[in-house]
Amino acid sequence: MKKILIIEDDGALRGELCILLKNAGYDTVCITDFHSVPEQMKAISADLVLLDISLPNINGETLLHDFRKISDTPVIMLTSRTAEIDEVLSMSYGADDYIIKPYNPTILLLRISAVLKRSAKASTVQMYHNAEVNTCKGSLVRNDEEQILTKNEMIIFQLLLDRQGEIVTRDELITALWDNDEFVSDNALSVNISRLRAKLAELGFPDAIETRKKQGYVLK
Amino acid sequence: MKLSEYLKDRLAAYIIYGLTWAFVLIFMFAFHIRFQAVIIVSIVALLGAVSSEIWNFLRRKRYYDNLLNCLEELDKKYLLSEMSDAPDFLDGRILYETLQETNKSMCEHIAEYRCENADFREYIELWVHEIKLPVASLRLMCHNDGNSKYSEQLRRIDDYIENVLYYARSGSAEKDYIIKETSLKRIFTDTALKNRAELQERGIALRTENLDVNVMTDSKWLFYMLGQLMGNSMKYGADEIYVSAEEFADKIVLSFRDNGIGIPESDIPCIFEKSFTGENGRIHAKSTGMGLYIVKKLCDRLGHGISAKSVQGEFTEITVTFGKNDFNKVG
Repeated sequence: MKKILIIEDDGALRGELCILLKNAGYDTVCITDFHSVPEQMKAISADLVLLDISLPNINGETLLHDFRKISDTPVIMLTSRTAEIDEVLSMSYGADDYIIKPYNPTILLLRISAVLKRSAKASTVQMYHNAEVNTCKGSLVRNDEEQILTKNEMIIFQLLLDRQGEIVTRDELITALWDNDEFVSDNALSVNISRLRAKLAELGFPDAIETRKKQGYVLK
Repeated sequence: MKLSEYLKDRLAAYIIYGLTWAFVLIFMFAFHIRFQAVIIVSIVALLGAVSSEIWNFLRRKRYYDNLLNCLEELDKKYLLSEMSDAPDFLDGRILYETLQETNKSMCEHIAEYRCENADFREYIELWVHEIKLPVASLRLMCHNDGNSKYSEQLRRIDDYIENVLYYARSGSAEKDYIIKETSLKRIFTDTALKNRAELQERGIALRTENLDVNVMTDSKWLFYMLGQLMGNSMKYGADEIYVSAEEFADKIVLSFRDNGIGIPESDIPCIFEKSFTGENGRIHAKSTGMGLYIVKKLCDRLGHGISAKSVQGEFTEITVTFGKNDFNKVG
């Protein structure tokens, strides 16, 4: 389980963020004492840090700047500051992403998983049962049989695969598609899913995607 | 300064001169001074008076003509006192010192207001950051409780907060933006994502073309501007939004087109004016006439051009023109 360190001084927000991340299957650690943040950051070896910019006693950007000298752990800045200068500064100090409050929770989770994936060093070939997932080519290969997936189908399949066995909501799927400049409608999503189903069935995975009424889809 | 005006102004003095000279003449005749002597004295006195008047007139004329000229040429008239030198005659000096004094006091007064204004704006920024925390918490609460009932209202609150922030920013005299290379596609995608729920609810299709270009702008400001344009499209009955960019030698033009109700031709010249709601605004009660006004002001500050085209009942197209300037390019 990936461990996420939350550095946010607003108690209510911190609590809700914890719940959100826990529901999404992450382990969370929060910093509540803002006197020795750098030491605590060092002590807690997290997989990802969510960092607020305006903190008591210390500025998040300075914190990031110092943290980068000792660690490569991905950091996502979460802030209510909407000036370009803050983003430019954060990115130049080595932030991996910059998200403005109030964030859309689905988008936040998408960005977190994207950053985590990017930071996962050895890019192991992803497998779905005994089929190889070729993201560069956008295809699935099983026993020399290849199925080409469209961009949309690949995005959907990737998201389902990353969370294999869990429910992925339609909302999450559409958000992921839109995030990749594919502004599909609700109906188009259904069409894409059924095409993906057909392609998986041809590869010998019938009923791979299970529909959970009013919840979403599960890749088995 | 005209001679006739000067003479008219000095009329009282001339009358006094004349009367005095009449008395002198009467005295001189009374003492039986010789006629030739009277003539000579009169001529000398007259020459003296005339030359002193000419000298007086000329030095005033030189100074005031120069002053008026300056005034004409200055586009900021209040800088006049900085532009003129002190004259060498008394009444001119008094005027000059008065001008300097009032100008100084006005500058102080303005500085005070400017300070207050900057303080207020700073407070608005701070306030916006503060208010966003509870909004962010509420957003997460809605999501965590699986209750989407309040999200729409929260989105509205967030929009109104942004309006205040950008209204304050649009009017500020300080340079509080950063122009850097920004991907139009990324900003448009973010805008679409932010408004996804409403777009889908209204069944609005998005179509984009050639958005894979970078423009020189402040990405946060552009994000806000596109949000405003998209909000308008949604408000005014569009079911398709078509966004495209075209690159020219010296500029990149972004066109944001929807097939909504359009704008009456007579309203188009006014849509970027403050508080202008027009015919559409009267039908749609939610118009405040602020959205496009703020967008225009932000464009002005960033140096982008903005214009609108529309055919009522067919389409509305807003185009934003970004200048190309390699000077600002980083790396």
